[in-house]
Amino acid sequence: MSIPFIQTRALEHVYTAEDGRSIPALRGIDLTVHRGEFVALIGPNGSGKSTLARHFNALLLPTAGEVWVDGMLTSDPRHVQAVRQRVGMVFQNPDNQLVAGTVEEDVAFGPENLGIPPTEIRRRVDEALEVVGMTDYRRHPPHMLSGGQKQRVVIAGALATRPDCIVFDEPTSMLDAEGRRQVLQTVRRLNAELGLTVILITQSMDEAALAQRVLVMDGGRVVLDGPPEAVLEAEELDGLGLGRPYAAEVARRLRAQGVPLPRGLLTVEALAAALQNI
Amino acid sequence: MHIRVESLTHIYAQGTPAERVALRGITLEIGPGERVGISGPTGSGKSTLVQHIAGLLTPTSGQVLLDGVPAHARTPEARARRHQVGLAFQFPEAQMFELTVSREVAFGPRHLGLNADEIAGRVRWALEMVGLDPESFAERVPFALSGGEMRRVALAGILALKPRVLILDEPTAGLDPRGRADILARLRAWQAETGATLILVSHHLDEMAGMVDRVVLLANGQVVADGPTRSVLGDGYRLRAAGLSPPPGVALLEALRAAGWPVRTDVLDIEDVVSEIARWFFNHKDTKTRSIINRSF
Repeated sequence: MSIPFIQTRALEHVYTAEDGRSIPALRGIDLTVHRGEFVALIGPNGSGKSTLARHFNALLLPTAGEVWVDGMLTSDPRHVQAVRQRVGMVFQNPDNQLVAGTVEEDVAFGPENLGIPPTEIRRRVDEALEVVGMTDYRRHPPHMLSGGQKQRVVIAGALATRPDCIVFDEPTSMLDAEGRRQVLQTVRRLNAELGLTVILITQSMDEAALAQRVLVMDGGRVVLDGPPEAVLEAEELDGLGLGRPYAAEVARRLRAQGVPLPRGLLTVEALAAALQNI
Repeated sequence: MHIRVESLTHIYAQGTPAERVALRGITLEIGPGERVGISGPTGSGKSTLVQHIAGLLTPTSGQVLLDGVPAHARTPEARARRHQVGLAFQFPEAQMFELTVSREVAFGPRHLGLNADEIAGRVRWALEMVGLDPESFAERVPFALSGGEMRRVALAGILALKPRVLILDEPTAGLDPRGRADILARLRAWQAETGATLILVSHHLDEMAGMVDRVVLLANGQVVADGPTRSVLGDGYRLRAAGLSPPPGVALLEALRAAGWPVRTDVLDIEDVVSEIARWFFNHKDTKTRSIINRSF
């Protein structure tokens, strides 16, 4: 039923600073992400989230240990191309990831680099723009779009290379509320409707609540791993300064005042419904 | 410093096919020492407006007066006033280039023509203000610091100019929750110590609520709301109409109100949100219990 897609074994990563000092970023990560999972990756700044994510598509290679993607070892040079094709990346700032003069040329950039025939590229570009809801903008210059629209074009570009998995590294941190809503809705669709494996790195506990599984990193290790209802209300999070989802924090304080609310209320909608049903 | 924005209109690329109207006749005043939030969806004109207040743009029409002097004028008086307005763009650390933290923070003060002792004093003060120990950070390489530390260095570089007006565009973007809370607390302390004007541009209305006394809402280049923080941010309907998401507490109370709970919805602090819900919950429970008792007799 659940097929392992990404596996890390005793993964360590050490950066070397300009003055020659060694800075350990990952200290022994053993992790399996299954095909079709929606995983949120949270943790304080500097905990190793982005470093870990860059191992998932061979942008970084292990200092020690192994990373396997769809049965391929990322440190084997023969596999790098295939690994990168399996796992797409979407970063924080869409402006750094858009390269072409029109939306559709931008989306075609990835498949063109893979040497795909033009008719197939045409089909993939059209499909990808349809999935992210940007078909009407295909001839627009990307720099004239809103932040949420730009980030959806970036996502379409990642989709056009037909990955099995997309890693999103804080894709909403530069967007306004509407942009965040658009991008999160798109991320959920890719997972729910296309069955893509999704890894979402975020600083927002409210965004992490959307995932099926939440991994918490601290000091280069995975310190918590489980469904959002269990992880996002764990006492251990307090020590990391990550806070709780807003609704969970309100529910905790209401419970302390004697309002009989269950745990696991992670969204404002769920909390409002629970309050009405008491 | 007294800031007066008069019928300010800004049109980018006027007369070309890419022409875009960013501001449409904005008028507002910000008094000395005010703490003001400016919000609005992407493209509403927030960044254009604050660049005008910093004197970085020339108005298409209208003007910005800093203590009565047009902000963009090429006169010594205007230049002196512009020097008292500090503007931190989003991700200000992207503009750092010096090789040590102390040189980076000293960059601005050096260009003000201050003497070495005064500069050194300001560097120490500014680093302490943002929570970086001058002893251990002064000689470090900015680019080897963590994201949160780089942000602090960049902000220290602006505080070292001792601005009378500080404009911050999304100062906490990309930081983790603890880093966000800490930077905001330090900026509040800086404002309380200096009595300077603070203008905070943000999409994060929840963060803004604890930082400012007044909120200006922009949509489509116009001011659509300008008033006390609680009345602007507590009005979920107006925020949605302007293309913004209300703070989560407001959304929660609105959902309960829609379900028939007579709760106030203009409540911003989480502690007050909890009290408002608890108060009505227990009232509601009492009436339920009473009606059960009445029926059973």
